[in-house]
Amino acid sequence: MKLAVVGKGGSGKTTTSSVIARTLAKGGLAVVALDCDSNPNLGISLGVGDEETERLVSMRQALDEGEEAHAPTWDTLISRYGSDGPDGVRLAVVSRIDNPEPG
Amino acid sequence: MLGSADFDEQDVVVADFEAGVGTLTRLGEEHVDTVVIVAEATPKSLEVGARAAFLADQKAVGRIVVVANRIRGPEDLERVRAAFPPGTEVVGVPHDPKIVEADRKGVAPIDLDPDAPAVKALIALAATLLPHSN
Repeated sequence: MKLAVVGKGGSGKTTTSSVIARTLAKGGLAVVALDCDSNPNLGISLGVGDEETERLVSMRQALDEGEEAHAPTWDTLISRYGSDGPDGVRLAVVSRIDNPEPG
Repeated sequence: MLGSADFDEQDVVVADFEAGVGTLTRLGEEHVDTVVIVAEATPKSLEVGARAAFLADQKAVGRIVVVANRIRGPEDLERVRAAFPPGTEVVGVPHDPKIVEADRKGVAPIDLDPDAPAVKALIALAATLLPHSN
């Protein structure tokens, strides 16, 4: 099942996404959470912690800055550029980072 | 990207899209089963929300659910309902100081207080999103 959470910035998408992801994972499903925002902070709302969230963002920036020859495949994105969060939610940052500073 | 994904190992993908409707506009081959539109009872938020609902409908997304967020009373909920086509599924999530507190502390709202009203409302919504309930 692919679920997209959309809305005006600041409306509560990230909080909504995080509770949905954690709840479905607690119920036993394998959940991948994708942060597609150009100011990624889904990790914090998921409970991954700000240090780990920042690490994922930095990895993504390195990727965008061309340290990888090709754009990652889905599997690479999830396994190499993702992080395991609480309840087994796998988090990956998929956006091109527009703003290096946390929002 | 979503379209090329191999979902054998993942049961669910929850994508927190870029703010606005840009990503939704560009949705093509990537099929999304459910779109959750988060909107507050303000004209700007509802304008984006209504545009998102229109786009999701055009793209023949399976299910559209509106989260009426930070609701302070029945008028807020009604204002949100009125912005979407009749019959649109709208779930109200109350304004909740615990969410504000979680944001301030940089912790997951579901960890800070799973019984907070807004968290409970979102947990209840998540239960209706389970794949087998589609």
